[in-house]
Amino acid sequence: MSVTAMPAAAHHSMAMFDASKEITITGSVKQFQWTNPHSYIQLTVADANGRPVEWSLELGAPMYLYSKGWRPKTLKAGDRISVRINPLRNGQPGGAVIDVTTPDGKSMANLRQ
Amino acid sequence: MIARAFFSATLLALGASSAALAQETGRDARVETFAVLPDWEGQWLLENNTSSIGGISDSILAQRAGEAAPPVSRDLFGFAPNVPWNEEGRKRNAEARAKSPGRKAEGWGFPLMMNSAAPIQFVIAPEAVVIVNAYRDLRIIRTDGKGHPPVDDLWPTTWGDSVGNWEGGVLVVDTIMVRNPNAYFHGAPALSDEAHYAERIWMDEEGGLVAEITITDPVTLTGPWKSVLRYVRDESYDRLLYDSYDGDRTGFDGEYNTIEPEAVE
Repeated sequence: MSVTAMPAAAHHSMAMFDASKEITITGSVKQFQWTNPHSYIQLTVADANGRPVEWSLELGAPMYLYSKGWRPKTLKAGDRISVRINPLRNGQPGGAVIDVTTPDGKSMANLRQ
Repeated sequence: MIARAFFSATLLALGASSAALAQETGRDARVETFAVLPDWEGQWLLENNTSSIGGISDSILAQRAGEAAPPVSRDLFGFAPNVPWNEEGRKRNAEARAKSPGRKAEGWGFPLMMNSAAPIQFVIAPEAVVIVNAYRDLRIIRTDGKGHPPVDDLWPTTWGDSVGNWEGGVLVVDTIMVRNPNAYFHGAPALSDEAHYAERIWMDEEGGLVAEITITDPVTLTGPWKSVLRYVRDESYDRLLYDSYDGDRTGFDGEYNTIEPEAVE
C-alpha cells in the first residue's frame, strides 16, 4: 500500500483517482456542494466539439476547506474557474481537486494567505 | 477554603438540611478537582498533517511536486512498518487491504481517529475526558475511578471501552473491547476484539500533545506494538466543525470507487 493511494484526509481509498496524471479543465461552476464527507464542484466544461459536459470534482471535507479559508459561498454558480485534477481512472468526467485558479490566475489553494 | 467554611457555617445557621450541605461540599470538591486539570483547549492536528482543499495531504502533494516535505505519521495504520503482526495478523490485514479499493468508510474509529487528518478536541472534566473529531468519532474516557464494567456487561464497539486516570499532567488510558475487523476506516489495523490499548497522553514543553500508545493482542501480534504520535494546536480551526454524511457520493464501478454522477440537491 503506497501513501499515494491513502492520502491523509480521504474517507475512501484514493485508488479511484490516477495520481500519475494531472489535467486542468476550465469551465463554469454549475453548483458548489459544501457537504460532508466530501465537497464537490459541478463544473460545466466544453468538450472538443464544444458540447457542454458536467464534471464532478471532489474536494475534501468542509473542515479541510474551512482551514484553508474557504466558506460555503466561496464559489457561486456561474463563476469561471480552472481546476487542476487527478482524473478518475474509469474515464468518467471527474477527479480529485489539486488546485483551483481564478480567471486572473490566482490560486485558491489557500485563501488564508 | 475560607469562603466555603463561611458558606457552610451560614447554611447550618439557617438550618439548612445536611443533604444540601453535602451537595454544596461535593460541588466545591469538584470545582477544586476541575481547577488542577490540564488545559488542552483547541483543535489538535497530527503534526505535519494539514490537508489540501482536495482532501489530500499537503505533505504528499509537496512530495509529488518534488519538494522537501516533512513526513506524516501513519504509525497506527494497518500497513505501518512497525507492526509486529503474526501470521493471523498478516492474513487479516491482507484481507482488509484487498477490500480497500472498493469501499467507503464511515469515519475513523479507534485507534485510527488518533492518527487521522481530522483535528481532534479534548473536553476535560473531573469525571471523564471526551475526545471527539469532525467525523463524529467519539471516545469517552471515564476518569471516575470505577474501572471497566464487568465483562458480561461489555461487547465490542468501534471505539471500545476506555477508562483513565491522571498521573499529574499525564492522562493514562486503558481501552478494551474495540470491534475488529473495523467497519470504519479502510486503513485500520485488522486487530482482534481481544486487543488491549494502553495510552499515555501529555503536553510537552513546546506545547504539543504527545500520545504514546502500546497495543497488545494475543490473536494478531507477536508482541507489544508501540507508537508515539504528536499533535499541534491548529489555529486555522476556530471550532470543531462536524456534519452528517449527506454528501457521500462515493460509488463503485466494479473495480474502483468512483464519483456518483447525481448531484446533491
